Amino acid sequence: MAEPQPDITLYTTQTPNGVKISILLEELGLPYKVHKIDITKDVQKEPWFLAINPNGRIPALTDTFTDGKAINLFESGSIMQYLVSRYDPEHKVSFPAGSRESYEVNNWLFFQNAGLGPMQGQANHFNRYAPERIEYGVNRYVNETRRLYRVLDTHLKDGDKQYLVGNKCTIADIAHFGWINMAAWSGVEIDEFPTLKAWKERMLEREGVKKGKDVPEPTKMNLTKEEMEKKAAETRAWIQKGMKDTAQK
Amino acid sequence: MTKPIRVHMCPPGPNPWKVVIILEELGIPYEIHSFKFDAVKEKPFTDLNPNGRVPAIEDPNTNIVLWESGAIIQYLVEEYDTQKALTYEALKEKHQLTQWLMFQVSGQGPYFGQASWFNVLHAEKIPSAIERYNNEVKRILDVLEGCLEGKEWLVGDKITFADLAFPTWNDRIDAIILCPPEAKFEAHPNVKAWHERMTSRPSWKKAMETRAKLMDEQGLMPNVRTGDLWQSKTKSSTVKKVV
Repeated sequence: MAEPQPDITLYTTQTPNGVKISILLEELGLPYKVHKIDITKDVQKEPWFLAINPNGRIPALTDTFTDGKAINLFESGSIMQYLVSRYDPEHKVSFPAGSRESYEVNNWLFFQNAGLGPMQGQANHFNRYAPERIEYGVNRYVNETRRLYRVLDTHLKDGDKQYLVGNKCTIADIAHFGWINMAAWSGVEIDEFPTLKAWKERMLEREGVKKGKDVPEPTKMNLTKEEMEKKAAETRAWIQKGMKDTAQK
Repeated sequence: MTKPIRVHMCPPGPNPWKVVIILEELGIPYEIHSFKFDAVKEKPFTDLNPNGRVPAIEDPNTNIVLWESGAIIQYLVEEYDTQKALTYEALKEKHQLTQWLMFQVSGQGPYFGQASWFNVLHAEKIPSAIERYNNEVKRILDVLEGCLEGKEWLVGDKITFADLAFPTWNDRIDAIILCPPEAKFEAHPNVKAWHERMTSRPSWKKAMETRAKLMDEQGLMPNVRTGDLWQSKTKSSTVKKVV
């Protein structure tokens, strides 16, 4: 029996976690539908979406599984592992299961999902969204993000690597891209990390990255300081409201 | 014959014990290399893990070095769980296990860790930060509570590595948000029953005994965590009133 055709819908918004999946789908050349989730209106907390992701976060993805039935997936890291295990038999952006490289890719994937993502996310919070300016909070997370950038920078520099594992762009690189690309927003100066900056430029030259980073709409990462502050003020208002609503449940 | 896997760790934190519990459950031989926390960001450990975090493993059977507890757990299950004791053969269930593991490492772990920092470890009390992270602890427990409704385990009808990734952090909720130990699962009975199903297993008991022994070796007190912290919080607030 032939495997069912992919029937992928990506539920996303313009965030560093969302673009991980659109970039990967573009890199793999897979057809997919985009369902934009308006997180300013808390659509991610509506019952129909919670049925797909009980955690109420983007991205999420639905597909027809090999058994012909639907599969719902959440957590960007597990979606990425799913997509390459099912749709990357030629190992365009992965390595064969069970190989040393595949485990090392996972190591950096988890580093992003459990370390860099959450910590840079907290830097964004204290730097841009918090109800009051808490210098301690800003410094704690901006410095932790800088420490993690340093780990990446040193790793890439050691042996003059083009990509994180095996000199090939993999899901480990794709997972990091959206976050590194928003360093300025988080309060980190990318020029402090020249090897990582060169890696980012290399990523930006890839067709899949060019297309995928602008889903569901173009990313706005070249803002001036004033524009960033204006955008932060707008975002702050709905984030504070959403946090308050959640806390009162 | 399988040579023992070397687990590098500092004993107090929750993440190394996630890995030890999996090793125990799967009956994989292992040896622990325990060291003090102040060596975590220094050579020789950073030669193993450039990120300077525990745990890290060295597997002499495959010559693989891994850090990041989530990647280690996936590796151990893929390489050594040939009987599928803690995982499933079916791909759909496997992907669902992965997403819960990811939820643990990207959600529960980091947020519980930050809550612990602002409630306990950071000297200056910052109410808005404490509130932020305490709310997130509650929110994560709410998600688990809902998903465990009418179920014993997160995916399917048996215990898996995804379930076993959660108890080391959940066990210390009282020490994280500073509540009485008996109140830590007050609003989350499904999570409580699920947690207790895991902490009554030999793997948990063995891991906690080992932890106590290794902390003792370093002159740390494993049992000063829960009730005592709560009492010291109560005491210090009393002192404040007197002053």
